[in-house]
Amino acid sequence: MQRKFDKRLILSSVLILIAIPLTIAFGVVFLHDRKYYFISIAILIYTMLPFLLVFEQRGPRAREIILVCSLSAIAVIGRAAFFMLPHFKPVAAIVIISAVCLGPESGFLVGALSGFVSNFFYGQGPWTPWQMFSFGIIGFWAGVLHRKGILKLRKLDLCVFGGLSTFLIYGGLMNFDSVLMFSSTINKDLLLAAYLSGIPFDLVHAASTVLFLFFIEEPMIEKITRIRVKYGLINESELLKDS
Amino acid sequence: MWAVTGMFQKNSPDAFSSYHPVILFLYFCVVLFFTMFFLHPVLLAISFCSVFLYSVQLNGRKAIRFNIFCMLPVTVIVSLINPLFSHAGVTILFYLNENPVTLESIAFGIVSGGAFITVIIAFSCFNKILTSDKLMYLFGRLIPVLSLMFSMTLRFVPRYKAQIKKIANAQLCIGMDASHGNLLQRVKNGIQILSILITWALENAIETADSMKARGFGLKGRTSFSVFSWKRRDKTLLATEAALLFALLLGLGLGKFESVYFPAIRIAWPEGKSAAFYLAYALFCLLPIIVNRRENIVWNKLKSPD
Repeated sequence: MQRKFDKRLILSSVLILIAIPLTIAFGVVFLHDRKYYFISIAILIYTMLPFLLVFEQRGPRAREIILVCSLSAIAVIGRAAFFMLPHFKPVAAIVIISAVCLGPESGFLVGALSGFVSNFFYGQGPWTPWQMFSFGIIGFWAGVLHRKGILKLRKLDLCVFGGLSTFLIYGGLMNFDSVLMFSSTINKDLLLAAYLSGIPFDLVHAASTVLFLFFIEEPMIEKITRIRVKYGLINESELLKDS
Repeated sequence: MWAVTGMFQKNSPDAFSSYHPVILFLYFCVVLFFTMFFLHPVLLAISFCSVFLYSVQLNGRKAIRFNIFCMLPVTVIVSLINPLFSHAGVTILFYLNENPVTLESIAFGIVSGGAFITVIIAFSCFNKILTSDKLMYLFGRLIPVLSLMFSMTLRFVPRYKAQIKKIANAQLCIGMDASHGNLLQRVKNGIQILSILITWALENAIETADSMKARGFGLKGRTSFSVFSWKRRDKTLLATEAALLFALLLGLGLGKFESVYFPAIRIAWPEGKSAAFYLAYALFCLLPIIVNRRENIVWNKLKSPD
């Protein structure tokens, strides 16, 4: 276990100490007006790597892996079911529920996977890494806050967290992405305009997350818990001990 | 058109896509990189024309309609946004509500709009050419667990859709289908169907996992099957790509693709010898079209005259 942890630490330090400075240098020297866009996408991808590689290093543990896959698939199906209502998607709700049940790392993966896979049905684009990261980090925070005891398994807590995180994290990151895509610099006016014009869409998205959490939180957590009790996937710290 | 499709497997949309996935992936990486991050008007014009031609080759008339009616308005709006909010630049054209509108920000708006439409069209080709099985092959060895998860999630989606139909049919037998009763009853029935699906999906996930474990999932020394192999034509095309890429990186290093918009426009135009670098980029972008054209000619030559 100790050795595996070190590997991840090494990867993170290589990324932070070598890859990120090199990327910034490359962007500044060669890409002039496009440097913010390039550097931000690259750093986003570097940040995702340690999260994603957790599963790579833990080795293949079939049950946990397939559980994450099937939750992601449910999120993708949910997004497909509501495709006629733009920005009304249950993905964030399902990601948050998965995260509180399975832990922050699985939560991140459910988010990133459902972002990536659903774009195979909606079309990939330069927004894919941003969506993957946004959904992923919502899942990660839900898991962390739940583990710390701040986010309790109560309808009110989950709905408040869901609404806020969708509006602030997802909306915040995606609006920022659209600024970077079309502009050479980042200034106050531009950011303000992008965020203001994004508010209606982000509100719809946040409202849909709250609505879905309100209705599916209880039955879904119950189902996941039932599976974990039935098949002995009691909690993650115990799982880590026997790996 | 049948002459083109006759040459290769039925499931590949054109000749270029029947090449090795590494070649296809490299092509899209380079084209997207130079389009998204460079904003050089000449490079942009080259990549726009190439991906436009290629998308028409792949998707037919539908692509032309989509590119013109959906993408043109977006590009125009994007081109207008930048000068309204960005007042950087030294050449002031006029004042709008006491805010200066500069030549530089208008130029930047136009090229970034052009880059946006080009990237969208390039991704529409990407989606058609680099199908999920090819991506799975590319990353399968590098990140085996993650690519497995990716492919399983992708497979679960149609599987769950089929299961929803089965559940809905079973519920229909007892009059609990989503088309029965008043609106409230229907919604309740719909939720019931979803609830059954989720229980089934989770239970099924564990069963799948146990079955995988029973078959030795994760043990050492297992090999994976792939349908892709390196043929001579793949090696030739990869060498071509590598040579052109080398030229492009050389041009990049020598500052031949420089394009700066702020504070004043400074663009390295192709002149004299540096035009060769732009030619290399054009060749690179047109690779799929060249490959398809060549395949067509060869096939027509080979066809027996009847």
